[in-house]
Amino acid sequence: MPMVLLECDKDIPERRKHIYLKAPNEDSREFLPIANAATIPGTLSERGCAFCGAKLVIGGVLKDTIQMIHGPLGCAYDTWHTKRYPTDNGHFNMKYVWSTDMKESHVVFGGEKRLEQSIHEAFNEMPEIKRMIVYTTCPTALIGDDIKAVVKKVMKERPDVDIFTVECPGFAGVSQSKGHHVLNIGWINEKVETLEKEITSPYTMNFIGDFNIQGDTQLLQTYWDRLGIQVIAHFTGNGTYDDLRCMHQAQLNVVNCARSSGYIANELKKRYGIPRLDIDSWGFNYMAEGIRKICAFFGIEDKGEALIADEYAKWKPKLDWYKERLKGTKMAIWTGGPRLWHWTKSVEDDLGIKVVAMSSKFGHEEDFEKVIARGQEGTYYIDDGNELEFFEIIDRVKPDVIFTGPRVGELVKKLHIPYVNGHAYHNGPYMGFEGFVNLARDTYNAVYNPLAHLAGIDIRNEIPAQLPERIREAA
Amino acid sequence: MEEKIEDLYGYVQERCLWQFFSRTWDRQENIDGVLGKAEQILSGQQPTNETPLEKLHYADAVIMVKDFRERFPWIRECGAAEVKQLMDGLKTRLVETVITKSTNRELSHHLY
Repeated sequence: MPMVLLECDKDIPERRKHIYLKAPNEDSREFLPIANAATIPGTLSERGCAFCGAKLVIGGVLKDTIQMIHGPLGCAYDTWHTKRYPTDNGHFNMKYVWSTDMKESHVVFGGEKRLEQSIHEAFNEMPEIKRMIVYTTCPTALIGDDIKAVVKKVMKERPDVDIFTVECPGFAGVSQSKGHHVLNIGWINEKVETLEKEITSPYTMNFIGDFNIQGDTQLLQTYWDRLGIQVIAHFTGNGTYDDLRCMHQAQLNVVNCARSSGYIANELKKRYGIPRLDIDSWGFNYMAEGIRKICAFFGIEDKGEALIADEYAKWKPKLDWYKERLKGTKMAIWTGGPRLWHWTKSVEDDLGIKVVAMSSKFGHEEDFEKVIARGQEGTYYIDDGNELEFFEIIDRVKPDVIFTGPRVGELVKKLHIPYVNGHAYHNGPYMGFEGFVNLARDTYNAVYNPLAHLAGIDIRNEIPAQLPERIREAA
Repeated sequence: MEEKIEDLYGYVQERCLWQFFSRTWDRQENIDGVLGKAEQILSGQQPTNETPLEKLHYADAVIMVKDFRERFPWIRECGAAEVKQLMDGLKTRLVETVITKSTNRELSHHLY
């Protein structure tokens, strides 16, 4: 089956290279969507910007760090509170937002003084906080504000603070993926190995590419505690600035989100010889496999088996209850990139769900290699999908539920198709054993909720007496 | 033999993230390392895991071999020579798919 040109794309035929329908006996050698390429003019992309990739996805997760955004107010507001990554210190990162609030006069005359003043003001207002990340945005990058020089001056005046700079304006790349890259490489170049922490276990690792969405990190941490493994740094879920400076001390890098954080794992391997283990943290089967691999690395297999047995005994019956009711459900996954390949087999194996279409906003070709290897035949694989394409794909595959973000979610609601927040979750955590039961529950609630059906009824016409059979069965 | 290699290849493609690391040299290192350890385990040898990377490849291999034995019971009957043939064949298939014939444009970039 060749790449697909949708009807809505007839005037932008370049989109054919970005949409693939998997057929029997094909693999990614023959058909690999082009990805991490500039959005084609004429298509209404769902992508975010590079600054957003650095701040919203990675830096803004840290629980003890001021996020100083050097730019207009909107850059700060629009990358704040749109992800739910709580912390165990009262959600400092979600309570506050900081901006230099650049106005026209600062753009004309330069914003460095404004930045310096804002950094001092933030530290003065929050004297207990000693760490900060400063980000450039499009206008401050364009006018050439030297944020590194400003930060150097402030750090000289305030020897008790440490500040990291991320020079990644929104226009820096084709999507938010560039921001992940810039932050990863900047951090390893400037901050790793600038601090040492106390080692308390013979087994140490970094857990990389998990952002504590609705408590993912905190749930998984209970596993590592039970196994006696010291996590040197969480990159960056529920993490601290100083922990990330100690990443060089770990024996193993365990990577969940390879897209946002694979760079730092690669560099830690190259520079410090710390091996990189990629795992899937969503799904029973995958989570058990990940735990087994980590335990095999450390030679603590028995502990791992005991943990898995406990968790299966507690959660598997609940999962199976949902599996019985979700078998045959058709799901679409329209998220960032990695969740396509993390989820497609886990929902199939653990819940009997069939994934019929997947779209990635910022995945690279590596992500499509993974998802095409794991995904089903007859499924659509889309890079940088746009709204019209989503509508056409929905017509073709008729999904029962769509895992996507709130913006696209609002679109599909109008078609009376339930959606589950695939970025920030409905009611997570979704990782780990307990988490996957939560995912199953939210999927069940979405698929069987009669509201989506009822909202589609035009009450000016005769109201049907009955709900669809599937919903009646669940009631 | 081809059919058996195809079975193992199908499993690895579906389950194993180590084949899809960022660059050609990472992928080659993982394919060689994990399949090398798997060959030792399947041949009844106890792998020596002296370096962190060897420990990692062992951790990936030991889980994979357990699954091989569960899903493909015929592999339990294979002698050392047949195991070597299987692993060599699997390596050839994987290298072709994820390295030599991969159209991933980032695979050979010299920086991460």
